[in-house]
Amino acid sequence: MENHTINVPGAQEFARPRSRRDFFKSLAVAGAGATAASMLLSGKASAQTDDVDIANFALTLEYLEADFYARALDAGVLSGDALGVVENLASHEAQHVDALVGLIESVGATPVEKPTLTFPTDAFSSQASILDLAATFEPVGVGAYLGAAPLISSPDILAAAGSIEGVEGEHVVAINMLLGVVPYANEAFPKALTLDEVSAAVAPFLGGKMLSTGGPQLSPMEAYRLGHL
Amino acid sequence: MSEVESRIPLGIDREVSRRNFLKTAAWTGAAFSAMGIGGFGVAVRRAEAQGEYKTYEGLGDAAILQFAYLLELLEGTFYAEGVEAGLFKDAFLEQIVAIRDHEMAHADALAATLGDLGAEVPATPQFTFPPGTFGDAATFLELAATFEPVGIGAYQGAAPALQSKDILAAAISIHNAECQHRCAINILNLINPPNDLAFEVALPLEDVQAAVEPFGITG
Repeated sequence: MENHTINVPGAQEFARPRSRRDFFKSLAVAGAGATAASMLLSGKASAQTDDVDIANFALTLEYLEADFYARALDAGVLSGDALGVVENLASHEAQHVDALVGLIESVGATPVEKPTLTFPTDAFSSQASILDLAATFEPVGVGAYLGAAPLISSPDILAAAGSIEGVEGEHVVAINMLLGVVPYANEAFPKALTLDEVSAAVAPFLGGKMLSTGGPQLSPMEAYRLGHL
Repeated sequence: MSEVESRIPLGIDREVSRRNFLKTAAWTGAAFSAMGIGGFGVAVRRAEAQGEYKTYEGLGDAAILQFAYLLELLEGTFYAEGVEAGLFKDAFLEQIVAIRDHEMAHADALAATLGDLGAEVPATPQFTFPPGTFGDAATFLELAATFEPVGIGAYQGAAPALQSKDILAAAISIHNAECQHRCAINILNLINPPNDLAFEVALPLEDVQAAVEPFGITG
């Protein structure tokens, strides 16, 4: 049995979104959360509101996942192991939504509304199409939490995020099992994603607005403006 | 027979497994069961802060990483011996080998970070495992299923207490890998569906210490 080759990164390499400012720069461009962006642009961002913005962004992702799995179950095309796994996925994501709403309200802030979600026309036509889309969603969820967590100020909110972040990793493994990917758990260091990367991945399901400015490919004017925030 | 069971390349005697696990559980003391690992009832409230991180505050990043390093060595040694014992083949072997390599890579990354911090890398302890741990696949996997939540709980508990955001980023990536391992071990233990937790569980420092002390980590 050959050893897997694993590059061991230094701690520095994990911190991909290097600062709050980098994270929210892309948020402002992407329009991922109008509230977050407008707060940033108006210069009102504080440690507390930043944490809430991150939690609201996570809530948007959880709404997307919860809605996706609920529709997947409604489609009635799942059976066997896949049905059981997806029932749990749907339940977990719905619980994450509830938990994040509760968390945001507990600090006196307002949770974002559930976004209007759109899925490809054939997304729910078969078990295979559902699992394919699930296999793209789950690593994005993992990457979003891993990218955003170091930007969270409150240890309590960070602790809450940690309890969800790991579950998204388990989801990756369960989907791998259904897709016949061996080994099921195959990442020594699951990757953080920048907000640009997360935005680009989920934009098609949120009405496409987030792709309109092209994520990290900023126009010179946008780069200038953001560099002066 | 479910699809998962039909994929299993080796016969596991569940009755033997249960008996051995009871012995293992007795040997390790009440530490794991006292933590309520694997129980229900943690549900939605887990996303509210439980304050476990407070038990890690004041240790400092280096001491937290030193402890994490020992946990990774323990896990890596456990999986390495499982591979050596020839308990597995095919997909099961591939998964155990991958987890072994992940744990060793985690230990290497932690050692390198300790070096960056100018902190000492702890000496490798003499680990001890319950008699029969490597005697059959089922006993081994039952112990694996108790190890992973300890690693998860330790990282999750310690993460908010870390000072360096770069170290935090590394720690939560490793935390995610440990959660992936938990789910993979569930698959090998024929738990179906294997994704059976909505919220991961953080553990306070003293619970982690109590859980690993019988295996030779006294730090």
